[in-house]
Amino acid sequence: MAVQDKSRARLFYKYLSKVYDQINPFIWTEEMRAQALGLLDIEDGDRVLDVGCGTGFGTEGILQHTGNVHGLDQSVHQMEKAWAKLGKHDPVRFYRGDAQRLPFKDDTFDVVWSSGSIEYWPDPVEALAECRRVTEPGGQVLIVGPNYPSRAIFQKLADAFMLFYDAEEADRMFSEAGFEEFRHVTMGPSYSPEVAITTVAEVPE
Amino acid sequence: MKENLMDIICCPLDKHDLELDVTERDDEEILAGTLTCTECGETYPIEDGIPNLLPPDMRDEAPA
Repeated sequence: MAVQDKSRARLFYKYLSKVYDQINPFIWTEEMRAQALGLLDIEDGDRVLDVGCGTGFGTEGILQHTGNVHGLDQSVHQMEKAWAKLGKHDPVRFYRGDAQRLPFKDDTFDVVWSSGSIEYWPDPVEALAECRRVTEPGGQVLIVGPNYPSRAIFQKLADAFMLFYDAEEADRMFSEAGFEEFRHVTMGPSYSPEVAITTVAEVPE
Repeated sequence: MKENLMDIICCPLDKHDLELDVTERDDEEILAGTLTCTECGETYPIEDGIPNLLPPDMRDEAPA
């Protein structure tokens, strides 16, 4: 992705954060969040990183499973919404940072989660490899992204604005990022059951 | 940020350890200061208690 597209993505975030929680339930619901969390094996006390935590919708769900939660986002505009809901310093630790260059040591987390962020990553493979690096071997990485829409008009929109992907493309990205074991689950509300593609990957030993 | 986060954070560029320099703190949180990479020397600010570990090329484009 070119530099002008990266700044466009950032501008997009800035305005999107104003309405994100209002529009979000239509594409990424509490039921879908619970379903995604159900694919993970999080025990209380496990260290979980939410990459691209944004307004904290995923972070809030993770907190129901463990108290050791870390949220990272590049945008303060987005995180201010999360701070209003969850507090700025407790219980979640927040950081500004880049998904493709994570500021954490190797094997720091038991689980890395990212929902609704991958479509903005200029180089998703690099970011996925970073998620793998900071997760302990045997731990899990879960990525929720939007599935490639089946209707042509939405495909055009999707191609113009963001990176959407299907299971085949997800296979390629996760393999290139160094994962060996992973599976994809599509999920969504009843009127659009495949709106999101969720991948759970195990970090190789 | 909590001081014990020094155990898990690192320079986003070369992944080396960071050195903490505190300018303001309360009982629990480091509110202001800097994190300097012990290898490349790049400095990352702690802004209103939040460590800004964005690589320098992204820091200017995404104002706080």
